[in-house]
Amino acid sequence: MPSDMRRDFASRDDLIAYLAAEFPAAAAAGASVPETRGGRVAAARLLSSLDPRRYAASRNLLAGAVTRLSAYLRHGVLSLAEVRDAALRAVDRPDEAAKLISELAWRDYWQRVYATIGDEVWRDREPAKTGEPPHAYAAELPPEIAEGRTGLACMDAFSRQLVTTGYLHNHARMWLAAYIVHWRRVAWQAGARWFLQHLLDGDPASNNLSWQWVASTFSHKPYMFNRENLERFSEGVYCRGCPLRDSCPFDDSYEALSAQLFPRMEANPEPPRRRR
Amino acid sequence: MSAQPVVWVHADCLSPHGPALAAHPGAPAIFVWDDALLAEYRISLKRMVFIYECLLELPLTIRRGDVAEQLLAFAAAHGAASLVTTESPSPRFATICAHVAARLPLRVLPVEPFVEPPGRLDLGRFSRYWRAVEADALRPRRG
Repeated sequence: MPSDMRRDFASRDDLIAYLAAEFPAAAAAGASVPETRGGRVAAARLLSSLDPRRYAASRNLLAGAVTRLSAYLRHGVLSLAEVRDAALRAVDRPDEAAKLISELAWRDYWQRVYATIGDEVWRDREPAKTGEPPHAYAAELPPEIAEGRTGLACMDAFSRQLVTTGYLHNHARMWLAAYIVHWRRVAWQAGARWFLQHLLDGDPASNNLSWQWVASTFSHKPYMFNRENLERFSEGVYCRGCPLRDSCPFDDSYEALSAQLFPRMEANPEPPRRRR
Repeated sequence: MSAQPVVWVHADCLSPHGPALAAHPGAPAIFVWDDALLAEYRISLKRMVFIYECLLELPLTIRRGDVAEQLLAFAAAHGAASLVTTESPSPRFATICAHVAARLPLRVLPVEPFVEPPGRLDLGRFSRYWRAVEADALRPRRG
């Protein structure tokens, strides 16, 4: 007879202890559990405070008014359609919600691609535009990245935040992914597997295809950033105390960094994209 | 055999208002942790806690193991003549559905669409997709 898993718990700690015992491999992959609650009740609370205007004005800042709805959308606790409808109700004119809705559309787009290509989300959609062959990229994630001890205050903070909270701001995801793929020459699949272990919104479609967008295997050119960009949108919180602030590998112009990172990229490319 | 189906809830649709649960209120429902998938992805504990908290708000039985086998055993135990679930683009979902459908009638309900494009969409790049659907995406529906 199959046995049912428990539904009655004295407390959240009781639930966490039960799952850690039932799934020791999950606890070994990362035992910390953030305050973020699963379920429709928590999702509805977030949805009721949706502010599409503030989102549009500040979403690229790490401290911006992002929605934190991604984990609920990923698991279908909320549908894209109902979040879109809530966004439209929260504004006077549809165009005021356009930025937020276009970001919802990215998820719809990735899901539609996934429905078409399935497990091919794990393979390069196209050759990379970096000028580097696939074997130039290491297969495994360097342990100091996963452990948050590269010495780079920004990347180490993103790594720890990913592992402890299961969440990263979209801009932090892009910076961390670009660092891993372009600065460290690690295969995007290694980073994608790591993100899926930890992100509460981890989804093979949005996650892997976004990594491919950064890597340029599903876009026209690689995504990169520089210190000025990171410092601006993080409002300097990492750079100020960074032990490597005077030898920062990101501290240069886009043109110089592009020449350094992609020496074999086709001559005279368009300037690399800064952000989506 | 009971005319009432059993409902399969999976991790791509954990809303109490999801299509399968909404279509069959009161029907026996089940969620199954996919042990093979967990071994493959090695997801961390926080992800499982999040999903489990979603499950605890839903009227269903929680089990683990081989998903298709668990679904068939659950349906048999309830004397159900069919299984109902909600669609997912995941290839794993398609595999499980194929296993179940070989032995029990299966109905897969669509989720409420985000956009309803009139024809085939060009999915080569987001920009082409967005040009095709933008006006529809921004159109107020209800409320």
